[in-house]
Amino acid sequence: MRIRLSGGLVRGAVSVLAAGALWEIAGRTFLNNPLFFAPLSAVLDKMGELWASGDLQVDIAVSFEEFIIGFILASIAGIGIGVVMASSKALCQYIDPWVSMLYATPFVAVAPLLVLWLGIGLAAHVAVVFIVVVFPVLINTYSGLANSDRDLIEVARSFGADQIQIFSKIRFPGALPFIVAGLRQGVARGLVGVVVAELFGSHAGLGYLILISGQEFDAAGLFVGILLFALAGIGVVEIVRVIERRIAPWRAQDGRS
Amino acid sequence: MTTAVMPSGDAKLEVRNLGKSYMKDDRGIEVLRDVCFSIADGEFVSIVGASGCGKTTLLRLLDGLIPPSSGAIYLDGRPIEGPGYGRALVFQQDRLLPWRNVLSNVGFGPEIQRRNGKAERERAARYVDLVGLRGFERHYPHELSGGMRQRVNLARALNAEPEVLLLDEPFASLDAQTREIMQAELLRITAEAKKTAIFVTHQIDEAVYLSDRVLVFTVRPGRLKEEVKIDLPRPRQLAVKRTPEFVSYTDHIWQLIEQEVREAIGLEAREAAALHA
Repeated sequence: MRIRLSGGLVRGAVSVLAAGALWEIAGRTFLNNPLFFAPLSAVLDKMGELWASGDLQVDIAVSFEEFIIGFILASIAGIGIGVVMASSKALCQYIDPWVSMLYATPFVAVAPLLVLWLGIGLAAHVAVVFIVVVFPVLINTYSGLANSDRDLIEVARSFGADQIQIFSKIRFPGALPFIVAGLRQGVARGLVGVVVAELFGSHAGLGYLILISGQEFDAAGLFVGILLFALAGIGVVEIVRVIERRIAPWRAQDGRS
Repeated sequence: MTTAVMPSGDAKLEVRNLGKSYMKDDRGIEVLRDVCFSIADGEFVSIVGASGCGKTTLLRLLDGLIPPSSGAIYLDGRPIEGPGYGRALVFQQDRLLPWRNVLSNVGFGPEIQRRNGKAERERAARYVDLVGLRGFERHYPHELSGGMRQRVNLARALNAEPEVLLLDEPFASLDAQTREIMQAELLRITAEAKKTAIFVTHQIDEAVYLSDRVLVFTVRPGRLKEEVKIDLPRPRQLAVKRTPEFVSYTDHIWQLIEQEVREAIGLEAREAAALHA
Protein backbone atom coordinates (compact mmCIF):
# COMPACT_ATOMS: atom_id res chain seq x y z
CA MET A 1 0.00 0.00 0.00
CA ARG A 2 2.72 2.47 1.01
CA ILE A 3 4.90 1.44 -1.87
CA ARG A 4 2.07 1.87 -4.34
CA LEU A 5 1.19 5.26 -2.90
CA SER A 6 4.75 6.60 -3.12
CA GLY A 7 5.04 5.09 -6.61
CA GLY A 8 1.96 7.09 -7.54
CA LEU A 9 3.46 10.22 -6.02
CA VAL A 10 6.70 9.76 -7.96
CA ARG A 11 4.82 9.33 -11.24
CA GLY A 12 2.66 12.36 -10.49
CA ALA A 13 5.74 14.46 -9.75
CA VAL A 14 7.47 13.25 -12.92
CA SER A 15 4.41 14.18 -14.95
CA VAL A 16 4.21 17.70 -13.46
CA LEU A 17 7.95 18.34 -13.89
CA ALA A 18 7.85 17.16 -17.51
CA ALA A 19 4.90 19.44 -18.26
CA GLY A 20 6.74 22.34 -16.58
CA ALA A 21 9.83 21.69 -18.71
CA LEU A 22 7.69 21.49 -21.86
CA TRP A 23 6.03 24.77 -20.93
CA GLU A 24 9.44 26.44 -20.47
CA ILE A 25 10.81 25.12 -23.76
CA ALA A 26 7.68 26.06 -25.71
CA GLY A 27 7.74 29.56 -24.23
CA ARG A 28 11.35 30.06 -25.28
CA THR A 29 11.13 28.60 -28.79
CA PHE A 30 8.04 28.55 -30.99
CA LEU A 31 5.63 30.35 -28.59
CA ASN A 32 8.02 33.18 -27.88
CA ASN A 33 5.67 36.14 -28.43
CA PRO A 34 5.26 37.69 -24.92
CA LEU A 35 1.86 39.07 -25.91
CA PHE A 36 0.34 35.61 -26.16
CA PHE A 37 2.45 33.26 -24.05
CA ALA A 38 5.06 33.27 -21.33
CA PRO A 39 7.57 30.62 -20.33
CA LEU A 40 7.19 29.16 -16.82
CA SER A 41 10.21 31.09 -15.55
CA ALA A 42 8.65 34.40 -16.62
CA VAL A 43 5.39 33.43 -14.92
CA LEU A 44 7.23 32.60 -11.69
CA ASP A 45 9.19 35.87 -11.95
CA LYS A 46 5.95 37.76 -12.33
CA MET A 47 4.49 35.90 -9.37
CA GLY A 48 7.47 36.92 -7.22
CA GLU A 49 7.13 40.51 -8.40
CA LEU A 50 3.42 40.64 -7.56
CA TRP A 51 4.09 39.02 -4.21
CA ALA A 52 6.80 41.55 -3.37
CA SER A 53 4.45 44.43 -4.17
CA GLY A 54 1.81 42.91 -1.88
CA ASP A 55 -0.83 42.88 -4.63
CA LEU A 56 -0.85 39.09 -4.99
CA GLN A 57 -1.62 38.50 -1.31
CA VAL A 58 -4.56 40.89 -1.55
CA ASP A 59 -5.86 39.18 -4.70
CA ILE A 60 -5.59 35.73 -3.14
CA ALA A 61 -7.26 36.87 0.07
CA VAL A 62 -10.14 38.54 -1.79
CA SER A 63 -10.80 35.54 -4.04
CA PHE A 64 -10.45 33.11 -1.16
CA GLU A 65 -12.90 35.08 0.96
CA GLU A 66 -15.47 35.17 -1.84
CA PHE A 67 -15.07 31.48 -2.49
CA ILE A 68 -15.17 30.29 1.10
CA ILE A 69 -18.17 32.40 2.17
CA GLY A 70 -20.14 31.42 -0.92
CA PHE A 71 -19.15 27.78 -0.60
CA ILE A 72 -20.07 27.46 3.08
CA LEU A 73 -23.41 29.23 2.66
CA ALA A 74 -24.22 27.13 -0.43
CA SER A 75 -23.27 23.91 1.36
CA ILE A 76 -25.52 24.68 4.31
CA ALA A 77 -28.40 25.71 2.04
CA GLY A 78 -27.86 22.82 -0.39
CA ILE A 79 -27.78 20.16 2.31
CA GLY A 80 -30.71 21.79 4.12
CA ILE A 81 -32.95 22.03 1.06
CA GLY A 82 -31.93 18.50 0.00
CA VAL A 83 -32.97 17.19 3.43
CA VAL A 84 -36.29 19.04 3.22
CA MET A 85 -36.96 17.67 -0.27
CA ALA A 86 -36.16 14.12 0.82
CA SER A 87 -38.36 14.26 3.90
CA SER A 88 -41.55 15.59 2.31
CA LYS A 89 -42.88 14.45 -1.02
CA ALA A 90 -45.19 17.46 -1.31
CA LEU A 91 -42.42 20.00 -0.61
CA CYS A 92 -40.20 18.12 -3.03
CA GLN A 93 -42.81 18.52 -5.76
CA TYR A 94 -43.02 22.26 -5.04
CA ILE A 95 -39.27 22.76 -5.13
CA ASP A 96 -38.33 20.35 -7.92
CA PRO A 97 -39.27 22.45 -11.01
CA TRP A 98 -37.21 25.37 -9.68
CA VAL A 99 -34.22 23.21 -9.03
CA SER A 100 -34.38 21.69 -12.53
CA MET A 101 -34.82 25.10 -14.14
CA LEU A 102 -32.14 26.93 -12.19
CA TYR A 103 -29.68 24.04 -12.45
CA ALA A 104 -30.02 24.12 -16.22
CA THR A 105 -29.60 27.91 -16.43
CA PRO A 106 -26.08 28.86 -17.53
CA PHE A 107 -24.91 30.80 -14.50
CA VAL A 108 -22.64 32.97 -16.65
CA ALA A 109 -25.86 34.59 -17.83
CA VAL A 110 -26.83 35.36 -14.24
CA ALA A 111 -23.46 36.76 -13.11
CA PRO A 112 -23.77 40.21 -14.79
CA LEU A 113 -27.28 40.51 -13.39
CA LEU A 114 -26.06 39.84 -9.87
CA VAL A 115 -23.28 42.40 -10.26
CA LEU A 116 -25.95 44.83 -11.48
CA TRP A 117 -28.14 44.15 -8.46
CA LEU A 118 -25.56 43.83 -5.74
CA GLY A 119 -22.84 46.14 -7.06
CA ILE A 120 -19.20 45.42 -7.72
CA GLY A 121 -17.78 43.69 -4.68
CA LEU A 122 -18.03 40.90 -2.16
CA ALA A 123 -21.80 40.45 -2.12
CA ALA A 124 -22.18 39.93 -5.87
CA HIS A 125 -19.21 37.57 -6.06
CA VAL A 126 -20.37 35.52 -3.10
CA ALA A 127 -23.82 35.33 -4.70
CA VAL A 128 -22.36 33.93 -7.94
CA VAL A 129 -20.35 31.30 -6.04
CA PHE A 130 -23.44 30.44 -3.99
CA ILE A 131 -25.60 29.89 -7.07
CA VAL A 132 -23.14 27.62 -8.82
CA VAL A 133 -22.30 25.57 -5.72
CA VAL A 134 -25.75 25.16 -4.19
CA PHE A 135 -27.24 22.98 -6.95
CA PRO A 136 -24.78 20.11 -7.13
CA VAL A 137 -24.79 19.93 -3.32
CA LEU A 138 -28.58 20.02 -3.17
CA ILE A 139 -29.11 17.46 -5.92
CA ASN A 140 -26.55 15.03 -4.52
CA THR A 141 -27.91 15.38 -0.99
CA TYR A 142 -31.42 14.70 -2.23
CA SER A 143 -30.52 11.69 -4.35
CA GLY A 144 -28.37 10.26 -1.53
CA LEU A 145 -31.31 10.49 0.86
CA ALA A 146 -33.86 9.34 -1.71
CA ASN A 147 -31.86 6.17 -2.34
CA SER A 148 -31.68 5.09 1.29
CA ASP A 149 -31.07 1.40 1.82
CA ARG A 150 -34.48 -0.12 2.64
CA ASP A 151 -32.92 -3.16 4.25
CA LEU A 152 -31.01 -1.01 6.72
CA ILE A 153 -34.12 1.04 7.47
CA GLU A 154 -35.88 -2.23 8.28
CA VAL A 155 -33.07 -3.16 10.67
CA ALA A 156 -33.60 0.13 12.50
CA ARG A 157 -37.38 -0.41 12.57
CA SER A 158 -36.84 -3.91 13.91
CA PHE A 159 -34.96 -2.42 16.87
CA GLY A 160 -37.83 0.01 17.42
CA ALA A 161 -36.37 3.16 15.86
CA ASP A 162 -38.61 6.20 15.31
CA GLN A 163 -38.56 8.35 12.16
CA ILE A 164 -35.99 10.79 13.57
CA GLN A 165 -33.64 7.94 14.47
CA ILE A 166 -34.11 6.32 11.06
CA PHE A 167 -33.09 9.62 9.52
CA SER A 168 -30.15 10.44 11.78
CA LYS A 169 -28.74 6.91 12.12
CA ILE A 170 -29.49 5.31 8.74
CA ARG A 171 -30.52 7.69 5.99
CA PHE A 172 -28.18 10.61 6.67
CA PRO A 173 -24.99 8.59 7.24
CA GLY A 174 -25.89 6.55 4.16
CA ALA A 175 -26.21 9.76 2.12
CA LEU A 176 -22.92 11.27 3.34
CA PRO A 177 -20.78 9.89 0.49
CA PHE A 178 -23.24 11.43 -1.99
CA ILE A 179 -23.14 14.74 -0.14
CA VAL A 180 -19.35 14.81 -0.20
CA ALA A 181 -19.41 14.01 -3.92
CA GLY A 182 -21.74 17.01 -4.34
CA LEU A 183 -19.34 19.19 -2.35
CA ARG A 184 -16.48 18.08 -4.59
CA GLN A 185 -18.42 19.09 -7.69
CA GLY A 186 -19.29 22.33 -5.89
CA VAL A 187 -15.60 23.11 -5.30
CA ALA A 188 -14.79 22.90 -9.00
CA ARG A 189 -17.80 24.96 -10.01
CA GLY A 190 -17.24 27.46 -7.20
CA LEU A 191 -13.69 28.20 -8.33
CA VAL A 192 -14.96 28.87 -11.85
CA GLY A 193 -17.67 31.02 -10.27
CA VAL A 194 -15.10 33.22 -8.53
CA VAL A 195 -13.24 33.93 -11.79
CA VAL A 196 -16.39 34.62 -13.78
CA ALA A 197 -17.83 36.86 -11.06
CA GLU A 198 -14.63 38.89 -10.92
CA LEU A 199 -14.38 39.15 -14.70
CA PHE A 200 -17.76 40.89 -14.71
CA GLY A 201 -16.60 43.59 -12.36
CA SER A 202 -14.17 43.77 -9.49
CA HIS A 203 -11.44 45.84 -7.87
CA ALA A 204 -9.27 42.94 -6.67
CA GLY A 205 -8.97 39.18 -6.74
CA LEU A 206 -7.34 36.57 -8.94
CA GLY A 207 -10.09 36.94 -11.55
CA TYR A 208 -9.37 40.67 -11.53
CA LEU A 209 -5.66 39.92 -12.02
CA ILE A 210 -6.55 37.75 -15.03
CA LEU A 211 -8.88 40.44 -16.38
CA ILE A 212 -6.35 43.29 -16.04
CA SER A 213 -3.42 41.21 -17.35
CA GLY A 214 -5.49 40.27 -20.38
CA GLN A 215 -6.36 43.87 -21.09
CA GLU A 216 -2.70 44.86 -20.76
CA PHE A 217 -1.51 41.95 -22.96
CA ASP A 218 0.51 40.69 -20.01
CA ALA A 219 0.56 36.94 -20.65
CA ALA A 220 2.75 36.24 -17.61
CA GLY A 221 0.32 37.94 -15.22
CA LEU A 222 -2.56 36.05 -16.81
CA PHE A 223 -0.81 32.75 -16.25
CA VAL A 224 -0.11 33.64 -12.61
CA GLY A 225 -3.85 33.83 -12.04
CA ILE A 226 -4.59 30.62 -13.92
CA LEU A 227 -1.80 28.71 -12.17
CA LEU A 228 -2.98 29.79 -8.73
CA PHE A 229 -6.55 28.75 -9.51
CA ALA A 230 -5.35 25.36 -10.68
CA LEU A 231 -3.34 24.89 -7.47
CA ALA A 232 -6.31 25.98 -5.36
CA GLY A 233 -8.48 23.46 -7.20
CA ILE A 234 -6.05 20.63 -6.53
CA GLY A 235 -5.72 21.66 -2.89
CA VAL A 236 -9.43 21.86 -2.12
CA VAL A 237 -10.29 18.66 -3.99
CA GLU A 238 -7.57 16.88 -2.01
CA ILE A 239 -9.05 18.18 1.27
CA VAL A 240 -12.50 16.91 0.26
CA ARG A 241 -10.98 13.54 -0.62
CA VAL A 242 -9.41 13.25 2.83
CA ILE A 243 -12.82 14.02 4.36
CA GLU A 244 -14.38 11.41 2.09
CA ARG A 245 -11.93 8.75 3.24
CA ARG A 246 -12.68 9.55 6.87
CA ILE A 247 -16.47 9.47 6.67
CA ALA A 248 -16.85 6.65 4.14
CA PRO A 249 -13.86 4.32 4.46
CA TRP A 250 -15.86 1.42 2.97
CA ARG A 251 -16.28 3.42 -0.22
CA ALA A 252 -12.83 4.94 -0.41
CA GLN A 253 -11.55 1.39 -0.80
CA ASP A 254 -13.40 1.07 -4.08
CA GLY A 255 -10.65 3.20 -5.54
CA ARG A 256 -10.26 6.88 -6.16
CA SER A 257 -13.20 8.48 -7.83
CA MET B 1 -62.49 -21.94 13.01
CA THR B 2 -61.53 -18.28 13.29
CA THR B 3 -62.95 -17.68 16.75
CA ALA B 4 -60.50 -15.76 18.88
CA VAL B 5 -58.62 -18.03 21.22
CA MET B 6 -57.02 -16.49 24.24
CA PRO B 7 -53.42 -17.40 24.94
CA SER B 8 -53.06 -20.44 27.14
CA GLY B 9 -50.74 -18.67 29.58
CA ASP B 10 -47.64 -20.74 30.18
CA ALA B 11 -46.21 -20.38 26.66
CA LYS B 12 -43.50 -17.80 25.96
CA LEU B 13 -44.84 -17.12 22.50
CA GLU B 14 -48.33 -17.97 21.32
CA VAL B 15 -49.44 -17.78 17.69
CA ARG B 16 -53.22 -17.94 17.25
CA ASN B 17 -55.09 -18.32 13.93
CA LEU B 18 -52.48 -16.17 12.23
CA GLY B 19 -53.17 -15.22 8.61
CA LYS B 20 -51.44 -12.86 6.20
CA SER B 21 -52.44 -11.74 2.71
CA TYR B 22 -51.16 -8.92 0.60
CA MET B 23 -51.78 -7.40 -2.82
CA LYS B 24 -49.31 -7.95 -5.61
CA ASP B 25 -49.96 -6.72 -9.15
CA ASP B 26 -53.68 -6.28 -8.35
CA ARG B 27 -53.92 -9.89 -7.18
CA GLY B 28 -54.46 -10.88 -3.59
CA ILE B 29 -51.91 -13.39 -2.39
CA GLU B 30 -52.57 -15.41 0.72
CA VAL B 31 -49.20 -16.13 2.27
CA LEU B 32 -50.20 -17.65 5.61
CA ARG B 33 -53.48 -19.24 6.67
CA ASP B 34 -54.70 -20.06 10.14
CA VAL B 35 -51.31 -20.76 11.70
CA CYS B 36 -51.38 -21.88 15.35
CA PHE B 37 -48.46 -22.91 17.54
CA SER B 38 -46.87 -22.04 20.83
CA ILE B 39 -43.30 -22.00 22.02
CA ALA B 40 -42.07 -22.59 25.55
CA ASP B 41 -39.49 -20.47 27.32
CA GLY B 42 -35.96 -21.48 26.32
CA GLU B 43 -37.15 -23.71 23.50
CA PHE B 44 -35.37 -23.83 20.12
CA VAL B 45 -37.89 -24.25 17.31
CA SER B 46 -37.16 -24.40 13.60
CA ILE B 47 -39.59 -23.67 10.81
CA VAL B 48 -38.97 -25.51 7.55
CA GLY B 49 -40.85 -25.63 4.29
CA ALA B 50 -40.49 -25.23 0.57
CA SER B 51 -39.72 -21.73 -0.71
CA GLY B 52 -42.90 -19.68 -0.84
CA CYS B 53 -44.38 -21.18 2.33
CA GLY B 54 -44.28 -17.80 4.04
CA LYS B 55 -41.41 -18.55 6.43
CA THR B 56 -39.88 -15.10 6.18
CA THR B 57 -43.31 -13.44 6.34
CA LEU B 58 -43.97 -15.35 9.56
CA LEU B 59 -40.76 -14.05 11.12
CA ARG B 60 -41.55 -10.50 10.06
CA LEU B 61 -44.97 -10.88 11.69
CA LEU B 62 -43.37 -12.25 14.87
CA ASP B 63 -40.95 -9.31 14.91
CA GLY B 64 -43.84 -6.89 14.45
CA LEU B 65 -42.45 -5.35 11.26
CA ILE B 66 -45.75 -6.08 9.50
CA PRO B 67 -49.24 -6.47 10.99
CA PRO B 68 -51.19 -9.73 10.60
CA SER B 69 -54.29 -9.83 8.38
CA SER B 70 -56.02 -12.06 10.90
CA GLY B 71 -55.25 -13.74 14.19
CA ALA B 72 -52.75 -12.57 16.79
CA ILE B 73 -49.38 -13.22 18.36
CA TYR B 74 -48.84 -13.11 22.11
CA LEU B 75 -45.53 -12.66 23.87
CA ASP B 76 -45.83 -13.56 27.57
CA GLY B 77 -49.60 -13.32 27.13
CA ARG B 78 -49.51 -9.77 25.68
CA PRO B 79 -50.36 -9.17 22.03
CA ILE B 80 -47.53 -8.00 19.77
CA GLU B 81 -48.36 -4.67 18.15
CA GLY B 82 -45.06 -3.58 16.65
CA PRO B 83 -41.32 -4.14 16.69
CA GLY B 84 -39.31 -3.56 19.77
CA TYR B 85 -38.42 -4.98 23.11
CA GLY B 86 -38.55 -8.71 23.77
CA ARG B 87 -37.63 -9.86 20.29
CA ALA B 88 -34.70 -9.35 17.95
CA LEU B 89 -34.40 -10.43 14.35
CA VAL B 90 -31.23 -11.88 12.83
CA PHE B 91 -31.52 -11.04 9.16
CA GLN B 92 -30.73 -13.36 6.30
CA GLN B 93 -28.22 -10.96 4.78
CA ASP B 94 -26.12 -9.50 7.57
CA ARG B 95 -27.38 -5.94 6.97
CA LEU B 96 -24.61 -4.32 9.00
CA LEU B 97 -24.25 -0.55 8.85
CA PRO B 98 -21.16 -0.10 6.66
CA TRP B 99 -20.15 3.16 8.35
CA ARG B 100 -19.98 1.60 11.80
CA ASN B 101 -17.31 -0.67 13.19
CA VAL B 102 -18.11 -4.04 14.78
CA LEU B 103 -18.56 -2.72 18.33
CA SER B 104 -20.76 0.14 17.16
CA ASN B 105 -22.90 -2.16 15.02
CA VAL B 106 -23.40 -4.49 17.97
CA GLY B 107 -24.34 -1.49 20.13
CA PHE B 108 -27.02 -0.36 17.69
CA GLY B 109 -30.04 -1.86 19.51
CA PRO B 110 -29.44 -0.28 22.93
CA GLU B 111 -28.54 2.99 21.20
CA ILE B 112 -31.97 3.02 19.50
CA GLN B 113 -33.50 2.35 22.94
CA ARG B 114 -31.53 5.42 24.12
CA ARG B 115 -29.43 3.44 26.53
CA ASN B 116 -25.83 4.55 26.00
CA GLY B 117 -24.17 4.03 29.36
CA LYS B 118 -20.92 2.38 30.31
CA ALA B 119 -22.79 -0.83 31.17
CA GLU B 120 -24.16 -0.97 27.61
CA ARG B 121 -20.71 -0.52 26.10
CA GLU B 122 -19.29 -3.30 28.27
CA ARG B 123 -22.17 -5.60 27.36
CA ALA B 124 -21.65 -4.96 23.64
CA ALA B 125 -17.99 -5.89 24.08
CA ARG B 126 -19.06 -9.08 25.89
CA TYR B 127 -21.29 -10.15 23.00
CA VAL B 128 -18.53 -9.42 20.49
CA ASP B 129 -16.43 -11.74 22.59
CA LEU B 130 -19.21 -14.35 22.84
CA VAL B 131 -19.48 -14.66 19.06
CA GLY B 132 -15.71 -15.06 18.87
CA LEU B 133 -14.74 -11.69 17.42
CA ARG B 134 -12.53 -10.31 20.18
CA GLY B 135 -9.83 -8.19 18.62
CA PHE B 136 -12.09 -7.16 15.73
CA GLU B 137 -14.07 -4.50 17.64
CA ARG B 138 -12.66 -1.63 15.57
CA HIS B 139 -12.95 -3.37 12.20
CA TYR B 140 -15.48 -2.26 9.64
CA PRO B 141 -17.88 -4.70 7.95
CA HIS B 142 -16.09 -4.46 4.59
CA GLU B 143 -12.95 -5.77 6.30
CA LEU B 144 -14.68 -8.95 7.55
CA SER B 145 -15.51 -12.29 5.92
CA GLY B 146 -19.12 -13.41 5.36
CA GLY B 147 -19.02 -15.68 8.40
CA MET B 148 -17.65 -12.93 10.64
CA ARG B 149 -20.27 -10.47 9.43
CA GLN B 150 -22.99 -12.99 10.22
CA ARG B 151 -21.52 -13.32 13.74
CA VAL B 152 -21.78 -9.55 14.15
CA ASN B 153 -25.40 -9.75 12.93
CA LEU B 154 -26.06 -12.35 15.64
CA ALA B 155 -24.24 -10.36 18.34
CA ARG B 156 -26.24 -7.26 17.39
CA ALA B 157 -29.50 -9.14 17.93
CA LEU B 158 -28.31 -10.71 21.21
CA ASN B 159 -27.14 -7.35 22.52
CA ALA B 160 -30.69 -6.01 22.28
CA GLU B 161 -31.30 -8.53 25.11
CA PRO B 162 -34.32 -10.16 23.50
CA GLU B 163 -36.19 -12.95 25.22
CA VAL B 164 -37.01 -14.42 21.82
CA LEU B 165 -34.42 -14.56 19.09
CA LEU B 166 -35.82 -14.71 15.54
CA LEU B 167 -33.43 -16.02 12.90
CA ASP B 168 -34.17 -15.82 9.17
CA GLU B 169 -31.93 -18.33 7.36
CA PRO B 170 -28.89 -16.60 8.84
CA PHE B 171 -26.41 -19.11 7.44
CA ALA B 172 -27.88 -19.46 3.94
CA SER B 173 -25.22 -17.35 2.28
CA LEU B 174 -22.28 -19.08 3.99
CA ASP B 175 -20.23 -21.88 2.54
CA ALA B 176 -20.92 -25.42 3.85
CA GLN B 177 -17.96 -25.61 6.26
CA THR B 178 -18.54 -22.17 7.78
CA ARG B 179 -22.23 -23.02 8.12
CA GLU B 180 -21.47 -26.14 10.17
CA ILE B 181 -19.23 -24.18 12.51
CA MET B 182 -21.82 -21.42 12.86
CA GLN B 183 -24.53 -23.96 13.70
CA ALA B 184 -22.45 -25.37 16.54
CA GLU B 185 -21.64 -21.83 17.69
CA LEU B 186 -25.31 -20.87 17.66
CA LEU B 187 -26.18 -23.85 19.87
CA ARG B 188 -23.45 -22.89 22.31
CA ILE B 189 -24.51 -19.23 22.36
CA THR B 190 -28.25 -19.79 22.75
CA ALA B 191 -27.60 -22.31 25.52
CA GLU B 192 -25.20 -19.93 27.25
CA ALA B 193 -27.48 -16.91 26.90
CA LYS B 194 -30.62 -19.00 27.66
CA LYS B 195 -32.62 -17.68 24.74
CA THR B 196 -35.84 -18.83 23.17
CA ALA B 197 -35.15 -19.12 19.44
CA ILE B 198 -37.22 -19.41 16.29
CA PHE B 199 -35.08 -20.42 13.35
CA VAL B 200 -36.29 -20.32 9.76
CA THR B 201 -34.39 -22.46 7.29
CA HIS B 202 -34.80 -24.68 4.28
CA GLN B 203 -31.93 -26.93 5.35
CA ILE B 204 -33.54 -29.94 7.02
CA ASP B 205 -30.36 -31.20 8.69
CA GLU B 206 -29.71 -27.74 10.09
CA ALA B 207 -33.24 -27.65 11.57
CA VAL B 208 -32.91 -31.11 13.16
CA TYR B 209 -29.45 -30.42 14.52
CA LEU B 210 -30.43 -27.16 16.22
CA SER B 211 -33.99 -27.72 17.38
CA ASP B 212 -36.13 -29.12 20.13
CA ARG B 213 -39.03 -29.08 17.67
CA VAL B 214 -39.33 -28.64 13.92
CA LEU B 215 -42.50 -27.10 12.45
CA VAL B 216 -43.07 -28.23 8.86
CA PHE B 217 -45.07 -25.80 6.73
CA THR B 218 -47.10 -26.33 3.54
CA VAL B 219 -46.68 -24.18 0.45
CA ARG B 220 -48.80 -21.14 -0.18
CA PRO B 221 -50.87 -20.45 1.67
CA GLY B 222 -48.47 -21.54 4.40
CA ARG B 223 -50.04 -23.70 7.09
CA LEU B 224 -48.61 -25.85 9.78
CA LYS B 225 -48.42 -29.35 8.32
CA GLU B 226 -46.80 -31.25 11.13
CA GLU B 227 -44.61 -30.67 14.12
CA VAL B 228 -41.73 -33.04 14.76
CA LYS B 229 -40.24 -33.28 18.22
CA ILE B 230 -36.49 -33.88 18.10
CA ASP B 231 -35.41 -36.14 20.96
CA LEU B 232 -31.67 -35.94 20.58
CA PRO B 233 -29.65 -35.40 23.75
CA ARG B 234 -28.05 -32.02 24.46
CA PRO B 235 -25.42 -30.66 24.31
CA ARG B 236 -25.14 -31.87 20.73
CA GLN B 237 -21.87 -32.33 18.92
CA LEU B 238 -21.64 -32.02 15.14
CA ALA B 239 -21.06 -35.83 15.10
CA VAL B 240 -24.72 -36.31 16.02
CA LYS B 241 -25.49 -35.64 12.35
CA ARG B 242 -24.09 -39.08 11.48
CA THR B 243 -26.22 -41.05 13.96
CA PRO B 244 -29.12 -43.21 12.68
CA GLU B 245 -31.61 -41.29 14.87
CA PHE B 246 -30.59 -38.03 13.23
CA VAL B 247 -30.89 -39.50 9.76
CA SER B 248 -34.35 -40.93 10.47
CA TYR B 249 -35.53 -37.46 11.59
CA THR B 250 -34.23 -35.80 8.44
CA ASP B 251 -35.73 -38.56 6.25
CA HIS B 252 -39.10 -38.17 7.92
CA ILE B 253 -39.11 -34.37 7.47
CA TRP B 254 -37.88 -34.66 3.91
CA GLN B 255 -40.82 -36.94 3.07
CA LEU B 256 -43.19 -34.37 4.58
CA ILE B 257 -41.65 -31.60 2.50
CA GLU B 258 -41.03 -33.42 -0.77
CA GLN B 259 -44.62 -33.19 -1.95
CA GLU B 260 -44.67 -29.51 -0.96
CA VAL B 261 -41.50 -28.80 -2.90
CA ARG B 262 -42.98 -30.39 -6.02
CA GLU B 263 -46.10 -28.28 -5.61
CA ALA B 264 -43.99 -25.15 -5.06
CA ILE B 265 -42.09 -25.78 -8.28
CA GLY B 266 -45.39 -26.21 -10.13
CA LEU B 267 -46.75 -23.05 -8.51
CA GLU B 268 -43.71 -21.02 -9.56
CA ALA B 269 -43.96 -22.34 -13.10
CA ARG B 270 -47.65 -21.42 -13.28
CA GLU B 271 -46.95 -17.92 -11.90
CA ALA B 272 -44.14 -17.37 -14.37
CA ALA B 273 -46.44 -18.51 -17.18
CA ALA B 274 -49.21 -16.17 -15.96
CA LEU B 275 -46.73 -13.32 -15.81
CA HIS B 276 -45.59 -13.84 -19.38
CA ALA B 277 -49.11 -14.44 -20.73
